[in-house]
Amino acid sequence: MNDLQKQFIAEARELIQQANDDLIAAEREGFSGERIDRVFRVFHTLKGSAGVVDLPAMGLVLHAAEDVLAAIQAGRLGATSLVIDQALACLDQVATWVDDFEAQEALPLESGEAARKIAGALRSLAGEAGTASEHLTRARPDDDVVPDWARSLIEAQSLQGSAEHESTGSLFALSYEPHAGCFFNGDDPIDLIRRIPKLLVFRADAREQPPTLADLDPFSCNLRLQALSAASHTELSAIFRLVPDQVHIVALPPDALSAKTEGRHDTSAKELVRLVIEEQTQLVSLAKDRPSYISLVGSAIRAAANALRHLRFEDAAERVERAGAAAISQSNPTPLLTALDDVRRLLLDQPISGVDAKRTEASSQGASRPAAARLLRVDEARIDALVDLAGELLVVKNGFVHLAKRIESDASGGDLARALRSQNDALERLAGDLHGALLQLRMVPLAQLFRSFPRLVRDMSQQLGKEVSLVTRGETTESDKTIVDLLFEPVMHLVRNALDHGIETTDQRRVSGKALPATITLSAARMGDRLIVEVSDDGRGIDPAIVRNKARQNGLLPEDELAALSDEQVIDLIFSSGFSTASEVTDISGRGVGMDVVRATIDRIGGRVSLKSRVDFGTSVTLDLPMNIALLQIMVVEAGGQLLGIPMDAVSETVRVAPDRISRIKNNDGFVLHDRVVPICSLAKIMNLPTSESDRTQIRLVVVAEMAGRATALEVDAIRDRLEVVLKPMQGFLSNARGYAGTTLLGDGAVLLVLDLKEILS
Amino acid sequence: MSVQRQSDGTIVLSGPCPVEDAEPLLQLLQATPNAPCDWTSCGQLHTAVVQVILTARPALVGPCGDPWIERWVAPALQVRGRETNAGHSP
Repeated sequence: MNDLQKQFIAEARELIQQANDDLIAAEREGFSGERIDRVFRVFHTLKGSAGVVDLPAMGLVLHAAEDVLAAIQAGRLGATSLVIDQALACLDQVATWVDDFEAQEALPLESGEAARKIAGALRSLAGEAGTASEHLTRARPDDDVVPDWARSLIEAQSLQGSAEHESTGSLFALSYEPHAGCFFNGDDPIDLIRRIPKLLVFRADAREQPPTLADLDPFSCNLRLQALSAASHTELSAIFRLVPDQVHIVALPPDALSAKTEGRHDTSAKELVRLVIEEQTQLVSLAKDRPSYISLVGSAIRAAANALRHLRFEDAAERVERAGAAAISQSNPTPLLTALDDVRRLLLDQPISGVDAKRTEASSQGASRPAAARLLRVDEARIDALVDLAGELLVVKNGFVHLAKRIESDASGGDLARALRSQNDALERLAGDLHGALLQLRMVPLAQLFRSFPRLVRDMSQQLGKEVSLVTRGETTESDKTIVDLLFEPVMHLVRNALDHGIETTDQRRVSGKALPATITLSAARMGDRLIVEVSDDGRGIDPAIVRNKARQNGLLPEDELAALSDEQVIDLIFSSGFSTASEVTDISGRGVGMDVVRATIDRIGGRVSLKSRVDFGTSVTLDLPMNIALLQIMVVEAGGQLLGIPMDAVSETVRVAPDRISRIKNNDGFVLHDRVVPICSLAKIMNLPTSESDRTQIRLVVVAEMAGRATALEVDAIRDRLEVVLKPMQGFLSNARGYAGTTLLGDGAVLLVLDLKEILS
Repeated sequence: MSVQRQSDGTIVLSGPCPVEDAEPLLQLLQATPNAPCDWTSCGQLHTAVVQVILTARPALVGPCGDPWIERWVAPALQVRGRETNAGHSP
């Protein structure tokens, strides 16, 4: 697979996700002009790239979807859920094909047939609305579809005055916005323009707000190159075949240039419209703070838009209308005034603060939005390699402590030892900072996880016939990528369970007078160095009595043990394997295999799952997770003459137990700690290490570990250091050794085995 | 090196100006934004170099050595004839 194909796969996935998000949002809130434009652009870009990597089937469905979107854009088709469904289905198919393409570098054989089917379905939607995407690339000698920028190029033609143009039948306007990073790919965008035959007009201007000289990045392309050419569409497409997503070619009526002279005596009409616009500007500025604000602004918008439409300045008219809507909803005339001013400049052929109307709008709407963060796409493996290196550095640093100790024990080395220690402190700080900074690179916002759920909830609630809305909170909370990736499955199980078992049907909710739609809340928050993710619903809650019954039926626990459990403990049983409270098995959450998988997955990454539920009020499941799993805090203990590491997250406390507190229960020693009986096990015995029969009259040292809600006291000979270590998984034929989480290097170069308490104590 | 400063302060572009020339040119223009820039003897200009010129809009001493740029880009920039700028120093 070549770089182009790899890039296509990565980009396609991002684009699909983005379109998915926008379509779901559109179904909820409707299509704003900006949103439909964005979705359209995504489909268009995808179509272009599919062509580049030569996937005609994908191109076909995307083209059909584009027709539908164009019909929506033009207001000929409503964004009904049927339409959204089809668009989403199309995206799903494309996503599957992208996976196929990644796996086999080709689409499955039957893809052509599938593509025709989907395209057919989409076409029938767009059918009555008429195919519309043509205006993007094909000649439609209809003045209505000439965008403003192309129109202004025609105007500019008289200035750059190219006499060699004879009306040859074809005329194309072209707008090329190279990617910011194109120079790094070896692109020379102007060089592509140079190759355009029969060039009539060329214009280069800044795409984003033009930077000042001081903060210009010479290697980031911020240009928009526009041209008018009498070459054929084929010639132009051939020149730009490698950048189809960045170039926009519009066919113009061949007589556009001669019409331009006609257009010149239109100046008077233009002048008139400009006066109308100026008048509306005055009206709007006066309307501010008046009680009749809304009606004044409303009539100003209508007058301005009508005047602009008279000139067939469709884009400009729409822009004024949109800005006007914003001005009314925010009771603030500024957006409208800005729009009117830009339009006035447009009519005067003045540059609109260096950018065209659409862009200004984007930036004025996004004034409060921070400048788009520049992202660097780095292979995860490279970051991991750096994290490993920083980890090694930590190990080397730990070596200094050991050295200092040795020198200290040498009577003459006191000063040297102090010097070494202070150096070590500096190194420790730096190595720690470096490691921290690297881990920061791996931090991603939880939004990455949450964004898959609106679609899931939408599809499933439709399927179940329930009305559910999804609320997400704390999407900006960041966590290590590994954690965020691992969370997807458990959170999906929880959301599915909430939808399937938690939320009542619409009728049930109506009867019990509960709010409709039901709400599922996904939230994330940072608590110290823990990440808390919560999935909650306002559904029927979990009835302990039903769980108890079910557990009895499934023979999960002996009757007497079951009876002894509190309601909370009973509810916790739903995390046991093979448990399902839904009276019937559905294809949504299946056979109750979900909850135990959730607990297992979360346990594996050092997290905890807890569940709270109130009958009729809903259920909330809390996942308490570490922020990252690269660095582990361990306690070094000695047992049976060997040093062993115990992960600190499992240790609740260390206790010296006097012999009189210890009592013999069955075959085991135990003692009472915080009103609980905690069994004492010898760590040496568990690990099959040589044990010296402990003196029963001595104070015994134990490490109390919590596992699956149960406390166990591990007896050790001594407790040494607490360390932060980078855990290496067991390798080679040690990888099958049970009871160990991994290894780490100690300061003196010795290998320390770190225990996996879960395996040991279960 | 195709971007150099002459003793009179004028920045001179000579020969083909590939993408690498964008940075030194930008640095010279940042140091002396008013310095004239002589592009009469330049060869083909890379887009990155054109972008620097479009942003900085230096006083250009023309005509541009790259005929395509002279035809399509120069008209949008203020270009003074070489003679009128003789002896000019920043």
